[in-house]
Amino acid sequence: MESRGRLSLKNLNVYYGKNHVLKNVNLEIPEKKITVIIGPSGCGKTTLLKCLNRLLDEGEEARVEGQIIVDGQDIYAPEIDVTLIRKKMGLLSQKPQVLPMSIYDNVAFGPRLFGLKHRPQLDQLVEKYLKLAGLWDEVKDRLHEPASRLSIGQQQRLCLARGLAVEPEIILGDEPTSALDPQSSRNVEQQLLRLKQDYTIVLVTHILRQARRLADYVAFLYLGELVEFGPASEIFSNPKDPRTMAYITGEIS
Amino acid sequence: MKDKITSNPGPGLQRRKRVEFVFRALMLTSSLVVSLSLILILVSIIWKSLPALKLSMITRTPGSGYYLGKEGGILNAIIGSLQLTLGATLIALLIALPAVIYLNTYLRSKSFLAEAIRFALDVLWGIPSIVYGAFGFLVMLFFHLRASLLAGMITVALVELPILSRVMDETIRLVPAELKETAFSLGANRWQTTTRVVLRQVFPGLVTAVLIALGRGLGDAASVLFTAGYTDRLTTSLLQPVATLPLAIFFQLNSPFPEVQQRAYASAAVLTLLILLISLITRSLSRKLSRHKIY
Repeated sequence: MESRGRLSLKNLNVYYGKNHVLKNVNLEIPEKKITVIIGPSGCGKTTLLKCLNRLLDEGEEARVEGQIIVDGQDIYAPEIDVTLIRKKMGLLSQKPQVLPMSIYDNVAFGPRLFGLKHRPQLDQLVEKYLKLAGLWDEVKDRLHEPASRLSIGQQQRLCLARGLAVEPEIILGDEPTSALDPQSSRNVEQQLLRLKQDYTIVLVTHILRQARRLADYVAFLYLGELVEFGPASEIFSNPKDPRTMAYITGEIS
Repeated sequence: MKDKITSNPGPGLQRRKRVEFVFRALMLTSSLVVSLSLILILVSIIWKSLPALKLSMITRTPGSGYYLGKEGGILNAIIGSLQLTLGATLIALLIALPAVIYLNTYLRSKSFLAEAIRFALDVLWGIPSIVYGAFGFLVMLFFHLRASLLAGMITVALVELPILSRVMDETIRLVPAELKETAFSLGANRWQTTTRVVLRQVFPGLVTAVLIALGRGLGDAASVLFTAGYTDRLTTSLLQPVATLPLAIFFQLNSPFPEVQQRAYASAAVLTLLILLISLITRSLSRKLSRHKIY
């Protein structure tokens, strides 16, 4: 129970064809904290995130070497069922991606995948997680309307609720506020801050101010290399590597 | 400054305006040709068939002496065409759907097998239906079948198969990768992702594909010429020959009697209206079905 949601990356290398995208990344992500991965675009942030729930497997031509250990298990070990790995992690993508079904069915999608059919229980889950994502009051009267009719900000919180409904231990966010207006962004950020009591959160962002607001720990990626990792206060006030310094002060972006 | 902009546009601007005008006119002409040709076809067919358009045309089978201009109708061909095409489309769908799902769920889009299947389907699409007719005829002989509803259905199914498969395939391929990734990241395996998310998203497109194939099958004469035969009665068994609208047109148009030729046009009008009806149903259905569709 103690180590639930603990992630460690050991000698992680990722290649797209001949392109070496992640170079020997070693990282211990602490549980029940927000770890923010920062770095200029194209530095491998999203790739790193997609490694964590093995989404890279589904794309074309990516090769992953090294180990990712979640709760003491190597998720790339051959005997591991990939769907169970993904169930441990809720993913929030850049653009909120609702499924082509009703609001209710979006939240119930995950639990149903794993065989939950009992209607009252589903009702309960849907309510619980919509509340947890701060969306319940806005949608409780129209649960059976198409999810695509929600505003973008509401859609992103719906995605959060849907991700939480599979009862993950870890929340992965890939610039989850980049498509949202400031008000909705703040809303999502607040939910994340609340959720870190119960979940390990790994967030990719290119917005430094957002990183400052949310991060307990910061990892700085540059050209596929993990340059620096540490508590947010240290990274932001006293970075050890000159490249981190340059990025934080806005010299490279 | 203001004067310069409004009163002295210069030669370049005049020229750009002329170029735009000319091309716009050309494009408008093309658009008109497209839509007018539909109207022209409808009007001329109906015009030619006016003397023969009676209710009995669509409520009766040919009586004795029908082909000499006496009483009767083409109910046999209407019902026959529907039987044959619905059966053929069902067969084609039962083969195309699993194939397309397999292609899009378990094969990488650049894989050799996927490329080979798509190439084969594209070639099959281009093969004229008389070739399918000839092939169906060979198969029939091989199995000692006579021209029949069954043989016709199988042949038309072959004609429809590549159309149905490729249209459905293209629809499914348009589903954004992010949507699939979303389902994957919630713990869905490939099968669940396809059946619960992808097919839901593309369902209107699949219905359209089926109706396109249906329309193609309904209108095809060459494939049924040798394989389905023709009969003046209604077909009640898979092993009996069956009448079809395209052949009804073909045979009646060949007649020396003007009354019979008019009936050929009436048959053509019926066929065209059927296809029009199918298109209209497609449109309204796909609008209804896309309630949950995103984008």
